[in-house]
Amino acid sequence: MSNLEYHVLLALAGGPLHGYAMKQRVEAESGGSLAPPPGSLYRVIARLMASGLVAETDPKGPVPPHPGLSRRYYVLTAAGRRELAAEARRLKGAAALAEKRLRTARP
Amino acid sequence: MKRALSSLVRLFPPAFRERFALEIAEDLREDWAAARARGRLAALAYGTRAALDLTGAALSEHWNPTLRPTPRSAGGGVMRWLTDGWIQDLRQAARALKRTPGFTLVAVVTLGLALGANAGIFSIVDAVLLRPLPFPRQDRLVYIGGTAPGSDLPSEFDLPLEFFIQYRDQSKLLQGLAPYDDFTNTLRVGDRAERVRMAVSTPSFFPTLGVKPMLGRLPLDEDEDRVALLSYGLWQSWFGGDTAVIGRSYSIGGSQRTVIGIMGPHFSFPRDGVTLWVTAVIRPEEITPGRFQTFALVGRMRPGVTTADLARELAPLAQRLPERFGGSPAYTELIRKHRPVVRPLEAQLVGEVVRPIWLLFGSVAVVLLIACANVANLFLVRAERRQRELAVRRAVGAGRLQLFRAQISETLVVALLAGALAMVLAWASVPIYLEFVPPDVPRLGDVTVRWSTLLFTGVASVFAALLCGGLPALRASEPSLDRLRDGSRGSTARRHWARAGLVVAQTALALVLLTGSALLFRSFQKMRSVDPGYDTRDIFTFQIAPEGEQLKDARSFAQFHLAFMERLRHLPGVQSVGIVDNVPLNESLALARFLPAERAGETGRGVPLGLTSVAGDYFKTMKIRLLAGRTFTDADQLTDLGHVIVNRAAANLLWPGQSPIGRRLKREEIPVWETVVGVVDDVLQDNFRDPAPPAIYYPLVGQPPADWVISSPAYVVKTGRAETIAPEIRALVREVAPGAPMYRTYTMAGLAEQARLPLAFTMLTLGAISLLAVILGTVGQYGVLSYIVAERTREIGVRMALGAEGRRVQAMVVRQGARVLLVGVVVGLAVAAASTRALRSLLFGVEALDPTSFAVVVGGMVLVGLLAAYLPSRRASRVDPIESLRGE
Repeated sequence: MSNLEYHVLLALAGGPLHGYAMKQRVEAESGGSLAPPPGSLYRVIARLMASGLVAETDPKGPVPPHPGLSRRYYVLTAAGRRELAAEARRLKGAAALAEKRLRTARP
Repeated sequence: MKRALSSLVRLFPPAFRERFALEIAEDLREDWAAARARGRLAALAYGTRAALDLTGAALSEHWNPTLRPTPRSAGGGVMRWLTDGWIQDLRQAARALKRTPGFTLVAVVTLGLALGANAGIFSIVDAVLLRPLPFPRQDRLVYIGGTAPGSDLPSEFDLPLEFFIQYRDQSKLLQGLAPYDDFTNTLRVGDRAERVRMAVSTPSFFPTLGVKPMLGRLPLDEDEDRVALLSYGLWQSWFGGDTAVIGRSYSIGGSQRTVIGIMGPHFSFPRDGVTLWVTAVIRPEEITPGRFQTFALVGRMRPGVTTADLARELAPLAQRLPERFGGSPAYTELIRKHRPVVRPLEAQLVGEVVRPIWLLFGSVAVVLLIACANVANLFLVRAERRQRELAVRRAVGAGRLQLFRAQISETLVVALLAGALAMVLAWASVPIYLEFVPPDVPRLGDVTVRWSTLLFTGVASVFAALLCGGLPALRASEPSLDRLRDGSRGSTARRHWARAGLVVAQTALALVLLTGSALLFRSFQKMRSVDPGYDTRDIFTFQIAPEGEQLKDARSFAQFHLAFMERLRHLPGVQSVGIVDNVPLNESLALARFLPAERAGETGRGVPLGLTSVAGDYFKTMKIRLLAGRTFTDADQLTDLGHVIVNRAAANLLWPGQSPIGRRLKREEIPVWETVVGVVDDVLQDNFRDPAPPAIYYPLVGQPPADWVISSPAYVVKTGRAETIAPEIRALVREVAPGAPMYRTYTMAGLAEQARLPLAFTMLTLGAISLLAVILGTVGQYGVLSYIVAERTREIGVRMALGAEGRRVQAMVVRQGARVLLVGVVVGLAVAAASTRALRSLLFGVEALDPTSFAVVVGGMVLVGLLAAYLPSRRASRVDPIESLRGE
């Protein structure tokens, strides 16, 4: 899973979002290191949809209002949720390993 | 910018676009507004980034789609077929080709060789023929010469200076005009003295061409003949690029001239290798009309003027020459026949080489056609093998267009790979090839494999792909649904006409090329066996240019050379030594009009003859036959006794049917009578094609003083060490005449080879091209027959089971091959007979329809073709009936 895919799933974990809101949240949550331009973003969305991790949904309940055209909203599927959790675990493990190794490696 | 960004969305494949285009556009709009709010720079940065991202994402989406294309909905039609999904098709084709590496390799190499030959020749065509001359508005530059039908002058000639003066003063359509000539002469800088190529013209030369020096200034009229401009190359090699050279004076061609400027590195008019431009003064009052001293004229026409307009304007101007400059009645008569020749400068420079270069370009194009036929055949077989698969795809709903495109994608991939191979081949081989191109081809220095070559190869590749993919793709797009029935083989005959047709075409084309090669080969052989009138073996020739003390007068000039010849004679291994002013095959004879004593009064109607001077054992050294009388003695050389030798052609012109010995003649403009003391045989002077010119030989002192001062005769040395003697002679020159450059050093054998080089070059190149054509053609024929035999194994098995002998089966296959071959040969013969006329100007001593050449080529073609049929036929005769029927 690429970094961008991970952050897109992470953004959607908070509830359905449209593309632009997704981009803004990814940018905020990655500390500004990821600011996907539309081409890459929608290609990632398409890929995640094709592998069943993300689905399109009708905007129900409290969604951020949007001033422009009516937007399509995307939501995390159950598979997507599992995939995100697994990736988070993997990252956590990898992070812990890194910290440990950096500590022991210090002279 | 915003709109440009949105339009990039169109790069995505339709499936993706339908789904996401609106959202992407909306996001772009918002991002853009946000970025714009942060300033212009931020907007620009965002725009660039987003554009790169969109392009990249669109390409990856094509290559590796996340969304499957939805089944074709109604609408779109042909346009959509033409634009969508190509990358997928190509990718699939690449994968399919990867699965059959042998097939792919053969196809790519076949096409690559042919395309490579095309790319290589194209790079030469491009530099020599297509690229415009490097002058501003070069389309308005013209060469001006003349012709005088019905006179004794050559069919076309450069012009004497009175034409220049007349045209310059009176033409209204010309904006600039300059006479020019180029020659080698001595450049002396300190101790260094060498013969270099230089051009002479008037100051109007540079503005007419529209060129300026890189450094320094252009010559002015008041500079008269005291200035020179250096080429960039000379400036670098002789002066180390030192700008202080401007303003200094050097001895150039025997007189002091001041360097006033350096030309840019790309200027080399009128020909490659010119290192210096010097100026001359032309004074109308000093003109003697009708002299043979002529110059090429370059003119710049005013905007909108055509060459025909200019020729119409110049014709009456030329007619008024006698009015202005006087001259004999014969001159007036000659002028009446005069017609101006005006042609684009570019065409004049390229001149004769056009024909062989276009010929070779046409030939490699033919090879490409043959290669295409071969590859088309390969693909036809491949499509045949895949009929079942294709039929299945058709049955489950694939459109004809889809099948067509899937098939042609494979040829495209092959052609593009072949194009890449061709570029590599051209890039690697053109520099080597250029070593063999005759040096008289202009602008060869500009030949490189460059962008235009790449573009040409790209276009040729796509063209080749369509050519060799079209037929198989059509075939593939309509698979016979019969193929779905198990074991069906369909009928054989119907499907073979296409392949047989391709083989016929290949055979015919190869035969045409081969005929051309054969004609050139025969010409070359004829040219090799020409007797030029002299023996070129074991002769070393060179010139030296002493200046100053030794050359006070004609006698000291002759003494110097006689003494030097004596020194040369004593070098070990030297058999004889002679001097001639213009060595055959290297320099042309000077021309003048001569009158025999019997027609002394007919000034202006003298016979135009070549003249040169000889001394020592020139005739003996060159083995030129003495027909009557004697050759010159040393007494003739040192005192002007008024003796000359004539050759047979000159004798026939002056005194037809009579012995010339003891008769008298004179040069028209010189009031001195000469007596003929000897007659020698004719010799070919300029090349092996033109007839031997009539010539008068003078002794060294016999020339007018103005000529011997600038003349630097050539020595001919007969020695078994012709190849290696140069250093010893050079040492001798340094001793006898220090500071005199030694140059034009050749062996006569080398000069002879050079004279045959243009023909040899065309012959060898066309030969190589035809060989490639024959190999490709034969391989094609062999391939088709092999395939047919393989396909008919069962039928052959049945025949043999029923008692047919192996020999008869073999004959059957050979017959099948021979039929196709014969049709090809007949078609080829017809095309060759119609097209060898294009070669006529290149041929020598051979008719364009030379029966020997045609017979040999047809014989060879049939032999090779039968061999190509024999191999598959042997396989057929060895078919084991039991094995072949077991498959059923």
